[in-house]
Formats: sequence, C-alpha cells, structure tokens
Amino acid sequence: MQTPVLPHNEQERLTALQQTGLLDTQAEQRFDRLTHLAQLCLGTEIVLVSLVDADRQWFKSKQGLDACETGRDISFCGHTILGEGVFEVPDALLDNRFADNPLVLNAPFIRFYAGVPLVSHGENIGTLCFIDSKPRKFTDKERQIATEIGKTIEQEIQDRLQEQAQEELAAREQMYRSVLEGTRIGTWQWNVQNGDTVLNERWAAIMGYTLAELEPISVDTWLNLLHPDDVADSDTQLNAHLNGSKEFFDIKCRMKHKQGHYVWVHDRGKVVSYTDDGKPLMMYGTHADITEQKLNDLALQQSRDQLYKLTQELPGVVYQYQSWPDGRAAFPYASTAIEDIYGVTPEEVRTDATNAFEKIHPDDLGRLVESIERSIEDLSLWELEYRVSSDNHTFKWLSGSATPERMADGSTLWHGYIQDITETKKYYLKLEELNQELNVAQQSLDLASEQAQIGYWHASLKLGTLWWSPMVYQIFGLDEQDFIPNDRKFKSVIHPDDIAKVEQSQQQALVTGIHNIIHRVIRPSGEVRWVHGLGQIVAEDKNPDLIMVGSLQDITDRMKLQKVKDDFISTVSHELRTPLTSINGALNLLQSGKIIALPEKAQKLMDIASSNCMQLSRLINDLLDIDKLAAGKMQFEMKKLNIVPLLQRAIDDHQPYAQQHNITLELQMDEHINQSTLYVDEHRLLQILTNFLSNAVKFSPKEGCVTLSATLIDNEIEIAVQDQGSGIPDDFKSRIFEKFSQADASSSKAKGGTGLGLALCKELTAAMQGNIGYESEFGSGARFYVRLPIVK
Amino acid sequence: MQLDKILHVEDDESIRVIVEMALVDLSGFTLMSCDGGQAALTQVETFTPELILLDAMMPGMDGLQTLIELRKKPHCQHIPVVFMTARIQQAEKQQYLDAGAVAVIEKPFDAMSLGDRLETIYQAYLASPDRNVTE
Repeated sequence: MQTPVLPHNEQERLTALQQTGLLDTQAEQRFDRLTHLAQLCLGTEIVLVSLVDADRQWFKSKQGLDACETGRDISFCGHTILGEGVFEVPDALLDNRFADNPLVLNAPFIRFYAGVPLVSHGENIGTLCFIDSKPRKFTDKERQIATEIGKTIEQEIQDRLQEQAQEELAAREQMYRSVLEGTRIGTWQWNVQNGDTVLNERWAAIMGYTLAELEPISVDTWLNLLHPDDVADSDTQLNAHLNGSKEFFDIKCRMKHKQGHYVWVHDRGKVVSYTDDGKPLMMYGTHADITEQKLNDLALQQSRDQLYKLTQELPGVVYQYQSWPDGRAAFPYASTAIEDIYGVTPEEVRTDATNAFEKIHPDDLGRLVESIERSIEDLSLWELEYRVSSDNHTFKWLSGSATPERMADGSTLWHGYIQDITETKKYYLKLEELNQELNVAQQSLDLASEQAQIGYWHASLKLGTLWWSPMVYQIFGLDEQDFIPNDRKFKSVIHPDDIAKVEQSQQQALVTGIHNIIHRVIRPSGEVRWVHGLGQIVAEDKNPDLIMVGSLQDITDRMKLQKVKDDFISTVSHELRTPLTSINGALNLLQSGKIIALPEKAQKLMDIASSNCMQLSRLINDLLDIDKLAAGKMQFEMKKLNIVPLLQRAIDDHQPYAQQHNITLELQMDEHINQSTLYVDEHRLLQILTNFLSNAVKFSPKEGCVTLSATLIDNEIEIAVQDQGSGIPDDFKSRIFEKFSQADASSSKAKGGTGLGLALCKELTAAMQGNIGYESEFGSGARFYVRLPIVK
Repeated sequence: MQLDKILHVEDDESIRVIVEMALVDLSGFTLMSCDGGQAALTQVETFTPELILLDAMMPGMDGLQTLIELRKKPHCQHIPVVFMTARIQQAEKQQYLDAGAVAVIEKPFDAMSLGDRLETIYQAYLASPDRNVTE
C-alpha cells in the first residue's frame, strides 16, 4: 500500500482548511443536498465531502457511509489533493497503491474511487469523492458532472464563510450598538477631505438638540457649539492626530447646551481610512457627556486642594502608614510637613519607610516598634511621644496618634497625625520648674503670712467663690476644717453695723478694681476684732471670672492705738491752746496800752512775745492739719465759689503784716476771673493763700512789692503770689514741698516759719484736685502758684 | 438793742481774767463769770444774761451738757449761746452749731476784738434769731 505523501505546501494547506471553519461541525443540508444529488446523478454507492486534515480525513457530508473519518495514511483522498483534476482509481484491487489498503480489503471494500479536489483560498483542502464496491470508470460526461458539483461545493464553502463573517459582523455591530446605547455615547463620522459629517441623535441630545434642529450638519455644527476657549485645544489635538504624533484625537471640552449653559464632553476619534495618496479620509469617533464626571472631578480636585491646603497649614504631618506581615512598611500618604518632622520627602517614604525610621532616637526605637506591634495586634489607637534627630546631636520631641485598619492583604494601615512638641515639652519642663518655684513661693507666703499675721484670700466676684489662707481663719476665730468660705458665710462674720460698708466697697471694687475697707468682725466667742481688707481685681482681659486677690490683717491693736493717738492729739490741741489763749489774750491787752501804759522797752518785749505766741499758734494748727491730712481725716467743705472776694480778703488780712515789713501788696486779676467759678473749700484755699502771702512778705526786701494775681488759663485758674525776694536756692528746690524743710536752718529763726506751710499747701491743693508749683531763679524773686479747675 | 449782759462760763481762771479785762475794761459790758456748767445754771437764775459765752471743754459738765441743761429752763431757751473752743476742726464746730450755738469762737482768740465780735454776733442774732451767725 502506498501512503499518500504530504504536499510541499502542507502547512499553508492546513491553514486554509482551518480557515473554512468546517472541521468537526454538524452536517449541513447545503452540502448533504449536493452529495445526495451527486449520488443520484452518478449512481455511486458512496459520495463524501472529505476534508484532509493533518492525520485524518473528516467527512463534512456523507452519503452511503456511517463512518465520519478515517486515517489519512489509508485515505484515497490524501492522493487526490496532491494534484489537480479528478483522481480516479477504476479498480483498487488491480492498483498496487491500494490493493492491500484496509479500506479495500475490508468494509467498505472499495474497488472504485474518484476524487475531485476541493479548493479554498488556493489550497486543496479536501475532496468530493465517489466510491463503489464494484470496478468502474467515469465517462467524460460523468467526470464533468463530478467536477461541476465539486465547484458548487467549493462555492458553498465560500458562501458559508461569508455568511459566517456577516453574522459575526452583525453580532459585533449589535454588540457595539448595545454598548453605545448602554453608555449613552454619541457617535460621529467625518470625511476629512470633503467635510461631510454624520452625527447620531445621541450626539445632538447631549447638547439638548434633536438632529433635525441641528440641520444642516457639517463640521461647523461642532465648531459652533464648542466653547470659544476650547477651540485652540481642539485644533491642537486634531492636528496631533492627523499628523500621526497621537494615536487618537482625544479632547475633553465644553459644548454649548440648547438652554445656554455649557456641558462637558469627551470626544475621542481616529482616522480609519486614507485616500490612495495617503491623506486621511474617514474619521470615526465618540462623543460622551462627562459633565457629571467633570463636576465630580472638579469637586474631587477641590477637596484635594482643600485637603492639601489644610495639611499645609497644619504644623504636623498628616499621614497613612502601612505595615505588612513580611516586615515591609511605607507611608502611602504623607503631607509635605513630613520633611519638617522626619527630614524626608513624602516620595522618599511612599514605598519604603526605612528612611524615616533611621531618624528615630535609638533610646526610643524599641518603644516605638513595640507600640506599633501592639496596635497591629489589637487594632488599638497608636499613641506615642518619642524623639527624632536629623543630625544625631539635636533632638526633636514628637507626639503621634493614629487609628489602625486591617487591609485585605493582611497589612495594617494607620491614619494619623504626628506633630513636633519640642516647644510644648520645653514649656512642660519649664512649667514643672515653675510649679516647684510656686510651691516655694507658696511656702514663703504662708510663712510670711504667719509671721506677719496677715491672711490672704481670693474671690471670684462673678462666681461668688471664696478662698481663705489659714491666717484668715485664725483672724476670724474659725476652724479651717469645718468651714468652707463663701461670700454669704463671710458676711455672717462681719459686724452687722459694717455689712453695708463692706458691700459698698465690694460694689466699688467692680468699678475701680480696688477693695479697701476697715471693718469689724465678730468671732464665734463674741469677741469683736478690727480687720483691714485690701484687695485688687486682676486685669479683666485675663480674668473672666473677675478674680480678686487680697489680704486681711487684724488691726485691732492698731485701731486701739489710733484711738489713743486721736484722743492724744485732741487733748494736746486743747491743752496747748488753753494756756496759749491766756498768754495771747494777756499780751493783746497789754500791747493795746488800754489796760496799762507800758514803757518803750517793755512794749518792744511785748511785741516779741506776741509775735512768738502767734507763731506757736500757727505751728500747732499746721501740725494738727498735717496729721489730719496724713490720716485722711481732713474734712473739706467743697462748694462753688467766685474767688474775687476771697482774694480781696487775703490781701486785706495781710495788709497789717505787710505794712509792718514796709511791703506793698497788689492784687491783679484778669477780666475773666469774676465770671469764673471754682469748686473748692473756701477756708482751705484761703489757708494756702495765707501761706503764700506770709512767705512772700517774709522773704521780700524792705519796700518791696508782693503781687497776688489770678489768671484764667484754659480750664484752670492760676492763683499766684510773686515776691521780690532772693528766690529759692537751687539745692533747696527739690525739698521745697517736704515737711519741716527750710532753705537753711537759720531761716526759720530769722523769718519765723515752721517748715510745714508749703507741705500743707501741697496736700490741700491735691485734695481739691489742683496743682501747686513755683517759678524761681535764685536772686530774682519767687512765684508760687496753685492751678484749680474751673466749674463749667 | 445794744448787748450789755454777758455770762461767761470757763474753767480756766487765766482765760476768765483775760475775757473779763477784754469785755469789761475794754468794751464796757456787764459780765458775770463762772467756772463751770453747774455754776452757770445757778447764775442764770439771778443774772439773766443777754448772751452766754460758753467754753466747750470743761471738767464735769462740759459745754454741750451745760447748753442742754440751760435750754431746759424756760427763761433760758432764747438766750444766744456762743461757744469758745480749742478744737477747731470743722466737724467739731458743726457739732456745737447743731446743738444750738449761734457762733463758735476759736482759741486762741484776739482779746482786743472779742467785744466787737460778740456785739456783731448778738446783732446778727437779733436780726435773725433762727440762724447761726457766720462770722
């Protein structure tokens, strides 16, 4: 038996066979009808359409045979496909090539075989073959019929292929159509050469139109609706595609909607065919509404921008840290502040956190690792304060906190924040130091309080809370253990007669910030004690609770002493004046010469005695006044006053004294004085002028002139006394208003002063809201003045 | 009407002498002096002064008490009383004026003008008996 050889183009032949798509498919009528026709026409027992595969022949259509395939090596068709035209074996038993072929010796006992090669894509892919169990020979006519039927079968194979291709195409088109419908994407076609444009309804609908409304459709339909700002970009993209530098025309742009607003669209297209001379011809593309996506993108971008700005503003780093079971770790996200914290950029640690870990202080690394492992294990909040260094010398304190989350791949992802707390840490340490100092200060204060027997307290005028130091309890005679102070309890300690004035002081403190009151308290034993409460409100801007701090001193002993002193002064005043009254009266009477005529020398002695008596009287008065002023006990009878009569009276009162010293007194007033009013104590103002005038007369040279003047200056009246004396020595100027000060020790003896007059004047002026002063050059007189505000 | 009869109440003898010289020898008034409040209360029964010059601070019955006792006597209710005091604080002066004194004279006083001052106070009192005399 001769096995058929493989043709030289076997590979191409097999490829062509595969392309027919016929192998191992169901029987088809279109082929069976033809093989049946061939059987009828040519009267053979068996007719087959046999496709010669690599190792077999497979029967696409068969008449008179049940088998569907046989081996290629024993096949007759394997020989047929080696040549062109009909391959005919009239009697197989007589043919050496087939005589021992099993298909000849066994069923179907082939004696006659005729095969017509079937060609597809230029290759012999199989045969239309005729088989009989009796020897036979085709006539020319029969051969011609067989050949024609073979060609018909070849045509059927081609038709079948084309039908399949069309079906596939239709299916694909259907699929694309469904996709387009499903995605609501518009489509367009554009003939680049002649400008013909085809759009679908969806294309128009995206901009709110129907296609009819957009007629006539051309490339201008696109350009007219395109946002002016996007035209340039569209041109650039189109040119880039047409000149081949970009595979697709791809643009996201704004198109004007029928209702006037713009919608965002994504257009993407491609040249699909070219002219013979290589110019782009047809371009197809899609047109998608991406307004929502674009708005989402914008919103997303805005959120990102916001997040970025926020994280930029934060002093610390906002980050994600991820740790995998295999030991890898990274910072998938870190705000730029990570540079300040770890000295690395976000990019440097995005996939590997090693760089950051290298900066951790060696002493803290163990703690850090441990804390991370604990957080991985029980997914607990990670929190730690630790140190990092960028140069191994200076360290920063960090405080971190992050929430862990288990990921699908078994890793753990933390979301957290790390900040530099170096300064806070410093403050904390400083605070501890201050606390220490505060404790010492507190102890000192307590000790001092105990030593000085002065208690201290603080109270919130807003909340009504009160705190007393131990000494306050002691002063009140209360037990610290069973008495929690508050304003109501404090009031219960106060002497009932003094409650009103304490409350008044508290009210006043709200306005002035100062609480200063002397009052009595009654101890539980019934003992009455005098106390001096002194308090000050802390500046309000730093003191929302209106905290007042203050001291409390038991001044019972002092009050007793004060009483003794007052009584003493009163007594001294009386006891000194009573003899003085007698001396003065006696001298007056004697001096007058009306009781008894005195010799000249006796008269002179009387004058001396009388003058000294007056001085003694003034001294006593001044001393008493100074004492009263110092104790704040001087009472002023303030009233509105036209000062002209007062000035005149001052001049009149001093006329005799001036004449005695041969001094002229002058009064000068400007025209406004008579229309102006001062708010003063008349008696005290006269006392000041008396001091000025008597000093001026005292220190003026013989036949000098002393001028009392009153001048309106702005809102004040200046009352001044000018003398022609020697003026005030420079070294005395700084002490001139001090008590018991005189230019030189001899002056008091020569001029008869107490050294209290000007000090008293200063106090009196201040008490009447005025200013006192002087102008003097040594050698050219002195000018003393007071300035007092006029009443408007 | 001119002032004539004055009752002077003063515990200090020196001052009593000075006042007597000033008012009798210099000014020619009729003067009755006594050394305390009790004596004054006795004297007014017979002397009937037109003005009483009363020292404020005296041992035993002081000036204020004396005034109160005097006012209890029907014929003494309208006699002007002038206080004389060494306590020259305004509050103290006011205390006497409030108690009914018509004027307060400070110690030490000018002996030469004392008579004139009392005459002035008396005339002012006559002109307006309900008012204190402001010198």
